[in-house]
Amino acid sequence: MEGVAQAVARRQEFGEKVRRIVGREITFDGEGFFWDPHQWDEEVAESLAEEAGLKELSETHWRILRFLREYYLQNGRSPLNRQIKEGTGISLMQMETLFPGGIKYGARRLAGLPNPRTCS
Amino acid sequence: MVVFTKTIYLDNAATTFPKPREVLEEMIGAYSSLGVSPGRGSYDLSMKAEERVMGVRRQICQFFGGSDPERVIFSYNATDALNTLIQGLIEPGCRVVSSRLEHNSVLRPLHHFSEQGIIRLDLIPFGSEGFVDPMAVAEAINPDTSFVILTHASNVLGTVQPVDQVGAICREQGVPLVLDVTQTAGLLPIRMDEWGVSAVAFTGHKSLLGPTGIGGLVLSPTLDVRTTRFGGTGRDSLSLVHTQTYPHRLESGTINIAGIFGLSAGLHYISSRRMDKIYSKELDLAKRLRDGLDSIKGVRVYSTNRHDPWVPIILCNVDGMDPEDASNILDGDFGIAARAGLHCAPLVHEDLGTSPKGGIRFSLGPFNTDEDIDKVLEAMNTISRSK
Repeated sequence: MEGVAQAVARRQEFGEKVRRIVGREITFDGEGFFWDPHQWDEEVAESLAEEAGLKELSETHWRILRFLREYYLQNGRSPLNRQIKEGTGISLMQMETLFPGGIKYGARRLAGLPNPRTCS
Repeated sequence: MVVFTKTIYLDNAATTFPKPREVLEEMIGAYSSLGVSPGRGSYDLSMKAEERVMGVRRQICQFFGGSDPERVIFSYNATDALNTLIQGLIEPGCRVVSSRLEHNSVLRPLHHFSEQGIIRLDLIPFGSEGFVDPMAVAEAINPDTSFVILTHASNVLGTVQPVDQVGAICREQGVPLVLDVTQTAGLLPIRMDEWGVSAVAFTGHKSLLGPTGIGGLVLSPTLDVRTTRFGGTGRDSLSLVHTQTYPHRLESGTINIAGIFGLSAGLHYISSRRMDKIYSKELDLAKRLRDGLDSIKGVRVYSTNRHDPWVPIILCNVDGMDPEDASNILDGDFGIAARAGLHCAPLVHEDLGTSPKGGIRFSLGPFNTDEDIDKVLEAMNTISRSK
């Protein structure tokens, strides 16, 4: 688990923005990713999806979001690319088109996962 | 959908993979028989290990066109080597000339000392095709310039810099030239003495085909580098002053001999397969890939079509798609490992207009094939049509 000092340093580096969504205060990083995945719930996801231009989340959207979340909460990390494909039965290319913002800024963000920050 | 059974690896500019079998076998074999502290004791095994390490120093010195094997310094990688060099060369108030093409291994140490007000940093821009103009280096050098430090080839664009011309300028002006040969070592001949280069910094785990964790410096006899890390060297143990003779002046603690054995085997592999043939094969594939990507509607290629001199690196983007998403699709749907992002060279991406998300980098290695290129082009075609 991340220590307090490390968490503070990360938040200073990557920004922190508190927003009120469906009556709850939620902390996001500078790119709009959740700092704490536990602040997520389906109502919040629906509201964020609408903001992103998705009026309704279909069963396919939910299958992806639930898989991403369940995997993250069980394993402490996001699933690998091939695991996403196997776990959802949906290609990453399809996923890219399903979510405004694509895989990272669309699906992963709506699923409430922390920013992956690879090589950025 | 393309069915894949193995990963097509195209991140060789980060680390070549896989390694030649000979490298792995040599590491296990040599480490099994000589895996002791080299030169730290008078017993035969230690002496033999030291002799073997000295042999690798000679091999490296010759490979880079240096003149003194004792001035071959081992480090963990190029970043470590560059830190040793930069920190050992700077003086308060000095100026350093470098370029906006550099990797963070050069930029970050220089920026650190510049921010502290210890040095003045002059960063030369690169032209539209990714080359530094030698005349711009000449103009940037002034009486306070302590050294010039340049990458031999951009790790983002693959463009090979005119270092022989820069070397001539530096020699004429009496300013040491330090070359970061991370992307060229093992692909292109490097002639440090002939080009007027005072130091090269290299890593073993890229085109030299060695393992991670080994790299180094080769210094010319005219360049002295201060010790900035201190410790045991197996010599002069009575003195609390760190050994000042090379290579131990810049090496403290036990060196990575498994890495050194692997690096040596990588050099032998390159020599036996002929470096020009390895380069030529990789370049042919890279040209095909570059030109193929350039012909796909919706794919923007940033790498120059000036193919010579060039190392096999191609940067591109799919219109309207985050490069990281494109890379994840390539990996998850097509089994292609390519590197998205800024490639630790933020100023290059800033100048290309690809910052902050960067681009998708394909970098080839000795084990890539024509079939790999076909599959990448097919995948990129499919991805670009999906948008």
